[in-house]
Amino acid sequence: MSQALLPTLLNLLLRAFVVLLLPPLIPGIITKIKAWMAGRSGPPVLQLYYDLAKLAQKQAVFSRTTTWVFLAGPVGTVAALLVASLLVPLGHTAPLLAFEGDVILFAYLLGLGRFLTVLSALDTGSAFEGMGAAREVSFSALAEPALFFGFAALARATGSLSLTPMLQSHGMWTAGHLSGPLMLILAGWGIVFLAENSRIPVDDPNTHLELTMIHEVMVLDHSGRPLALILYGASLKLVVLGALLVDPLLPVLSKGWLNGLAFLGGLGLLAVVVGVVESTTARFRMNKVPQFLVAGVLASAFAFLLLLV
Amino acid sequence: MAAAFLPLVPPLNEGRFSTLLGAVGSLIAFLAASHALLGGVPSHVDFRFWQGPARLELDALSAAFLLPLHLVAGLGIVYGAEYWPITLSKGFGRSLRFFFGVLVTAMTLLFVTRNGLLFLVAWEIMAVSAFFLVNTEHHRPEVRRASWVYLVCTHTGTLAITASVILLAQRLGSFAWSPLPPGALGSLDVWILALASLGFAFKAGLLPLHFWLPAAHASAPSHVSAILSAVMLKTGIYGLLRISSLLPGVPVWMGGGLVTLGALSAVYGVWNALAQRDYKRLLAYSSIENLGIITMGVGLGWTGRALGDPWLTALGFGGAIFHVWNHAIFKSLLFFGSGALLHATGTRDMEVLGGLAARMPRTALVLLPGVLAVTALPPFNGFLSEWFLYRGLFASLRGGDAWSSGLALLALVFTGGLAAVAFARFYGVIFLGMPRSEAGAHAHDPSRLMLVPMGILAALTLGIGLLSLPLLPVLDRVVSVVAPGQALSRGLPLASLVGRDFRMLLLLEGLLLAFGGLALAWLRPGARATEAPPTWDCGYAAPTARMQYTGSSFADGWSVFLPGVTQRVRSIRALFPRAHSFHSRVQDVVGEGLLAPWLERVAARLFRFHRLQTGYLSVYILYVLVTLLAVFLWLLLRARLPV
Repeated sequence: MSQALLPTLLNLLLRAFVVLLLPPLIPGIITKIKAWMAGRSGPPVLQLYYDLAKLAQKQAVFSRTTTWVFLAGPVGTVAALLVASLLVPLGHTAPLLAFEGDVILFAYLLGLGRFLTVLSALDTGSAFEGMGAAREVSFSALAEPALFFGFAALARATGSLSLTPMLQSHGMWTAGHLSGPLMLILAGWGIVFLAENSRIPVDDPNTHLELTMIHEVMVLDHSGRPLALILYGASLKLVVLGALLVDPLLPVLSKGWLNGLAFLGGLGLLAVVVGVVESTTARFRMNKVPQFLVAGVLASAFAFLLLLV
Repeated sequence: MAAAFLPLVPPLNEGRFSTLLGAVGSLIAFLAASHALLGGVPSHVDFRFWQGPARLELDALSAAFLLPLHLVAGLGIVYGAEYWPITLSKGFGRSLRFFFGVLVTAMTLLFVTRNGLLFLVAWEIMAVSAFFLVNTEHHRPEVRRASWVYLVCTHTGTLAITASVILLAQRLGSFAWSPLPPGALGSLDVWILALASLGFAFKAGLLPLHFWLPAAHASAPSHVSAILSAVMLKTGIYGLLRISSLLPGVPVWMGGGLVTLGALSAVYGVWNALAQRDYKRLLAYSSIENLGIITMGVGLGWTGRALGDPWLTALGFGGAIFHVWNHAIFKSLLFFGSGALLHATGTRDMEVLGGLAARMPRTALVLLPGVLAVTALPPFNGFLSEWFLYRGLFASLRGGDAWSSGLALLALVFTGGLAAVAFARFYGVIFLGMPRSEAGAHAHDPSRLMLVPMGILAALTLGIGLLSLPLLPVLDRVVSVVAPGQALSRGLPLASLVGRDFRMLLLLEGLLLAFGGLALAWLRPGARATEAPPTWDCGYAAPTARMQYTGSSFADGWSVFLPGVTQRVRSIRALFPRAHSFHSRVQDVVGEGLLAPWLERVAARLFRFHRLQTGYLSVYILYVLVTLLAVFLWLLLRARLPV
């Protein structure tokens, strides 16, 4: 009994740690890498934790245009991402819960968070936030097919409609006919990852001009605790979507805790890669972004076609 | 059980009495339909109609369509009593109530009849009473035009359905509809199905035959739009399901074809919804989208039936029926809401509205679940039926018609993304921000009679989203009627095979609400600034309502790719440019762009016969006489002629 209980307990602890405590570290790593690449020392890696602690104690300011819908964005995003995080396997550790059809719930939970964020942006009545909202919904309508084609390809390859078997199927790289499609899927999902997390080359979270923002401009009017929720949600989204990219690449190790460590290492590596990409590429012009996203759709569509015929 | 056949008395009496009578009638029929769905024995009445046996029967399939009909009708009658009082507007109120009752009665008859002729009679009464309902405000020319286009289209569809019913009578031996045993397809079957698909596609508003729909649904009074969108369009789906259930089987290619047609309609509908300024037209286009999604489900079910795959059959038909219910709930909620908006502001143009969430807080609160449900987001009901269809499509990818389901998968995903754009725009432009004109500045919530029906529907969208586990066996019962002999052979596929997954899904949706509640609870005690400043606009402290993003600009990223959109904007060159203007116009590219010119050419040819129409009564009597003479002559000659 105790032998079965201990790994489960460890697994739960790992999940709680990854979901609740780890996320703010990821943007910290990305920022640090970017600073090093630029020859600066940059803010501390734990900066986002300090920010969150400070925001939790600050007064929230609400514009006089806003209504209760203004809070739906932060609350809905965090709730949706927390549920989505329960569905994603963390590397090759034992899954918490998995059932046929959970990929669909996963994708639509991301959609729910986005939709509510858009509504709370429109609630301010600001021209900039409306612009950001319009961009966000338009671009994500392109990103979603890329995500789903990847799911469809993996569903056909693994015969399952659940995230855990899809991402944990062993030896995908060694089975020759699967490694090609898998590479295409990961390329497509990589683009989705950058776009959904508003990273360069799609969006720049650190830009100072509202006109050029996508995601950041939607949350301009949030402050205090609502803003803390938004920042935490954004970092959680990095982890949840990052797991999609990291999981299929991880080797299967003999021990549960080794697999957990491998996952954490993978996430750290992903953050480093994102930092390098952000330092070495420029942002696309806004009208180039749809082309970039369509490239992602095409990559996973090709993977799907390869498995279909 | 007899209660289901209780015809709704067309409410002729004054005010409250007629409302009460109509609502009670709907309630009784609703309870009867629920009883039948929950496992009651199918009951029937046999009689003779036009010298043939006829039957009225309440089985699970009939009940599955009676349920949304009487839900929406009952709430619509209550809502309509306030929305369009009988004393209002030069007597239109009376005809509106009369034809509303006739429409509901005709549809009730349509869903329970098992006789081809009676079906056509009910179909015709439904079509004509809907014409009078759409035409309620017939003093306005655009309403007259919309209702006439509708009348012509529905009759063209009836032509195909009549042909199909006659062929079906040939196949079955009489007009009585009793299912043939499953087996090999007869030679007539493909024709019966093809003609039925053509006719019913007209009613359901599927792709090239949808063009009557947006104008008709936008012009009707809002509670009528609700019942037209929520139920009457589905009579097309019902017809497809009923007629195909009578035949021994369905060819595989028709299943794939229907899936493709549904996929195209869904994308086309939602893409057009994006660009509309009239919010009722937007909702009407969204109905085309949802009927496309339902049609995909029916096509999947047909594929499953043709391949003998009970799993695919159950997912396809089950998903389609589930989406029929869900769409009926959230679309009638949205149309009721649009009526409240129209009442409060007097305009259907969303570009002049804004900021209504502060002025009509209750309406905004009950409409948000409707908006989230129509975008198929969890934890609301629209998501669950799409979840079924996704599973059906993935199942079909592996063991069915892979190409059509691959296309439909893309269409369903893309539809979800575009629906998010369309409805974020709908809710955002109308309810959020600041009022864009005087029209919305002094709006207020409607009275309780209008709010309560909306509240009930909003509660249903969430309630079904969280607690719909008991619906699985009910869906199985309906599927066993639609695909006789197949789903039954292996017990209850949905309840036993999807049950566990579905339970987890509902559990997680409950968890979603719990997390949301926790986050909200954490926000509550947060200190809040006492004074409320204006919205941050880059340091500009006096933002005006005209600086807000408009609905047109919100959808601009997508609508410019829509072939029917024409924009006129002059380029700005000088250093100090003068005032400029921007025009944008949306045209339904298939309906107004392709079909209308063609129809006009046909009409021009037919106008040659216009000479025969003189308008003198004596001339018409002459025509009758000549025709009679010709018939007699032909009868006389036929007796004499050899052969």
